[in-house]
Order: sequence, then structure tokens, then C-alpha cells
Amino acid sequence: MKVWDDSTGRETPAAYWRYQGFYWGVFAVIGFAINLANGGNTRNLVISHILFFFYSVGLTHVFRGQILRWRARHRSGIRMRFQLLVGILIIGAIQTILIIGIDTTLNGTRLQDWPRAAVAGLGWGMYIGTLVWTIVYVRITERRAQEQREAKMQLALREAELRALEAQINPHFLFNCLNSIRGLVVEDPPKAQDMITRFATLLRHNLNHDSRHTVPLSAEAEVVADYLALEKVRFEDRLRLQVAIDPDAASLPVPPMILQTLVENALKHGIARLPQGGEIQIRAAARNGSLVLEVENTGELMDSRSADTQVGLNNIRERLRILYGDRASLALRSSGAGKVVATVQLPKDS
Amino acid sequence: MKAVIIDDERLARAELRRLLAAHPEIEIAGEACNGDEALVLIAQTSPDILLLDVQMPGLSGFDVLERLDDVPQVIFTTAYDAYAIRAFEVNALDYLMKPIAPARLATALSKVRPRSGPTRLERVFVRDGDRCWIVAPPDIFLLESEGNYTRVHFNGQRPLIRRSLNTLEAQLEPAVFFRANRKEILNLKWIDKVDLGVAGGLSVTLRGGRAVEMSRRQSGRLREILSL
Repeated sequence: MKVWDDSTGRETPAAYWRYQGFYWGVFAVIGFAINLANGGNTRNLVISHILFFFYSVGLTHVFRGQILRWRARHRSGIRMRFQLLVGILIIGAIQTILIIGIDTTLNGTRLQDWPRAAVAGLGWGMYIGTLVWTIVYVRITERRAQEQREAKMQLALREAELRALEAQINPHFLFNCLNSIRGLVVEDPPKAQDMITRFATLLRHNLNHDSRHTVPLSAEAEVVADYLALEKVRFEDRLRLQVAIDPDAASLPVPPMILQTLVENALKHGIARLPQGGEIQIRAAARNGSLVLEVENTGELMDSRSADTQVGLNNIRERLRILYGDRASLALRSSGAGKVVATVQLPKDS
Repeated sequence: MKAVIIDDERLARAELRRLLAAHPEIEIAGEACNGDEALVLIAQTSPDILLLDVQMPGLSGFDVLERLDDVPQVIFTTAYDAYAIRAFEVNALDYLMKPIAPARLATALSKVRPRSGPTRLERVFVRDGDRCWIVAPPDIFLLESEGNYTRVHFNGQRPLIRRSLNTLEAQLEPAVFFRANRKEILNLKWIDKVDLGVAGGLSVTLRGGRAVEMSRRQSGRLREILSL
């Protein structure tokens, strides 16, 4: 029996409806038995409990849609728990009102006939009923959603690593780099040695799979520094760099390869296309609760950036979404005359 | 023989210069670090050989070739696989992968021949979308005017070149390329058979089957040349 749909992470409809039917079915039958024992009208009780079954299934089904939406937006734990409680209260209240409304209609009684204590008891019963329904549902599905998120995260990270690896092992970078170093061997042997070391460090970094979800910004910045030092040998004065990483931002966690991807794009689509070259500015600062990373380069924002840029940017967006939900963002825009800036905003706490 | 080095990276140019030091028959006429500089340098020095990097900011190596009236012998230098494959199709003299092995450079240079004469068109660069060719006049069997452009027929291809038929005619060997009519110039060495056409003109069939109708005036001249 297949209970989970692997492609979406949702439970399969069959398993979900079995749970709905079983839970509210048992609930209705128990309620019916208790009321019957207390001497109610059998026909009216059958009708009211069948109705109870269907509107309870309906209400919790709508609620479940909302739970899935919250989860997709990846609300933080406390906020989502609060929203769940509010939702449960509303559903419990609606159930109570419907029960009383249907009972008064069927039996021709009036609302005043219902003692306050009975209404309160009924309300509590409905509240607890929906609470238990929700806890069971969320607990079971959450574990699965978590696993799915984990798997997706790993996949997106692998892709980013693979792309970084391609970027560094792509023939253009690799052979131009080796050619420049070959030239340096004659001109400036100590610098050639330094570049060979950096080249090795960069390759090693990319070949060693680091499956962590985040790395300290300072570690990410070191990789970028090696990469840029190598490109600087090729581009010489055509590549001007300015790096400003706030000390209090350096230790903050960032998704690995995020800065690297942005810098590669800045170089490939900005500097490399300009005969006179240009400047790349890397900025990182912690600002009220968020970490802001900016990579700005000389160049023009093109309407149709090449497909591989989009792949790179989409990969970053995907990873941000999985890690932070809607609390992180990536924007690429033109920042004044002949400048393009990519801005990533991350929550500081996580 | 004169060579110019065109590459956007100073270290790459310096490296090539050092490699060329082993070939005293090659004189380095100059270096250019982008396409615009390259065009000026080529105009000034009329080199026999271009050592040309394909990927440069601004004008690419192909853009440079497209802007040359007469194309010298080209050796592409590239680090990029995709371009190497294109260089194949271009029919360049050779292509070298960076870093360049001295032995490979020697092989490439051994194919270089000095320019035969200063006035005749030796090679023309043609681009059609993603495909490029360096075509030598003997391979061209027909040139067809299309406004300011000319359609160049060779080797099963017929791309357009951004030059008028009259401009090209002035650069081509008159003993080989013959004006058939207002719109067409044919290569006499490609003539397969000549028939008497309508209204007294000649109808020429080229090797490969293409038929060209001669104007009446030019029919007379062709009769003289072929002494019919």
C-alpha cells in the first residue's frame, strides 16, 4: 500500500481520506452512543451525527489545505503553532455552533434550553477533537515533509557544487588559467607558485563534497578570494576588486557556493565582456536581523541573460526557499549607470 | 613573414611572443589586445599571419575577420573547446590550444606560405548565422549580387557577404572571374559547357550544374576569351 506520494511529499489521497473517515467516524459513533444512552431521539441523533461527520471532514479538509500552504511557505515553528491553535479554535467553535443549531432545528428546542455548562462542555469536546486530529495529522506528515525538504536541499546543493566544479574545470577557465600561469613562470616565479597553490586549493575545495547546509561567510569568502586571485592573473588591470565584509557578518552562516556563483556571473557577464574591464564589489553586512550580501559589477543588465546564468540564479533561489522559506530573497537589478548588482538577503538567526 | 598577435590577455600575448622567438623566419609586426586595435594594426602592417584569439571582449575574433577585405592566413589560438570546433569549420590554417605546445606551433607555422601578391584577394571570410568559412577564390564558382550584399557560391554553400558585387569584382583576378551579366560573376575555371542561349546570348553551365545566362555584350567577350 502506497501511503506517500514521493514526488510531492504529500500523503496519497487514499491514505488521507482513510484517516479522515476513520477519525471522524469513530468520533461520531462515540458521540452517538453517549447521546443515545442519555435518551435522545434515535432518528434525530442519526441525522445530526451523520451531518457532524461530513461537516467535520469538510472543515478539517479545508484546514489541511491551509496547513500545507503554511508548510510550503516554511513558517517558523512558533508562528505556525500559534496559527494552528487559532485554526483549531475556529473549527471547534464552528462545530459547536453547527451541533447546537442542528439540534435545536431537529428537536424544535430553543437555544435558551441549552445550559451554559453543556455548551462549554460541547465546545471543549470539539476543540479537543480537532486538536487531536491536527496533532496526529501534522506529526505524521511533518516527518515526511522534513525528509523531503532534506532530500531537495541535498539535491540543490549537489547541483550548485557540480556547477561550481564545471565553472572551475570548464575548459575556458582551466586552460586560460594554466596558460597565464605558464606565462608567470618566466615573469614572476614566486607569483606563479602562489597561483599554483591557489589553483590546487580551489580544485580541492570543489572536489571535496561538503554537504553542510551552511558555512560561515568567512569560509565562503576564502574560496571566492582564491578564485578571484586566479582570474586577476588573467584579467590584470581589467579586473578591479573591492571587498567589504563587516566583521560581525563574517561568522554568520550562508549557503555554500552562494557568493561564488554570484561572483562567477559578475565576471562572466560583466567584466569579461568589457574591453576596458571593470570593477567587482563584494559587500556583506548584518542589518537588523538579516545578512545582506551584495555583488556589484560594471556592465549592463541584459533582458535575456544566458540560460546558464538563469540556472545559477534559480539554483540559489531554490536553495534559499528550501532553507529559509519566504524569509530570504535574491534580486538582480541595474544599480545606476552601467552597474549591475545581485543582492541576497538572509535571516541572521538560523 | 609578418605575424600579428591578437589576444586580450597580456600574459597570453607575452607567452606567444616567447614561443615565436624560436622561429626567426616569423617577424612579429605587432600585438593587439582587442578587435578594434587589431583592425588598425592589420591595416597598418598587412601581415601574412594572424595569431588570433577567438574569444575577446567587444569584437570577437570572427568579428575581426568579417571586417577584413582580404583575410591573411589565420591561426586561431583558443582555450575554449567549442570555438576550436568552429575553427575547424572555418577552415583556418590551424588552431592552437592554450597553453600552446612549441611543437604544435611549429607544425602550424610550417603551413604558412608568403603572400603571393599585394593586390589580389586571397581569402574572404564569410559568416552565415553560427557557421563561418574562410574561402579562397579558386573554390568560388559564382558570385551573385543581392543589393549591397553578394551571395558567394562555393562547396555546396551559398552564404551572403556584406560587400557589393562591384567591390568584390575589383579585388578578384580578372583572368579568372568573369562578369556574366549585371548580377553575376562566374569563375571561368568552373565552366563545364557553353550553349547558345536565347536571343543570341550564351548560356554557361558550371560544374555542379548551375546555369548562368550571359548578357549579349559579355557573350561576345566570352567568345573571344574562349576563342569560340
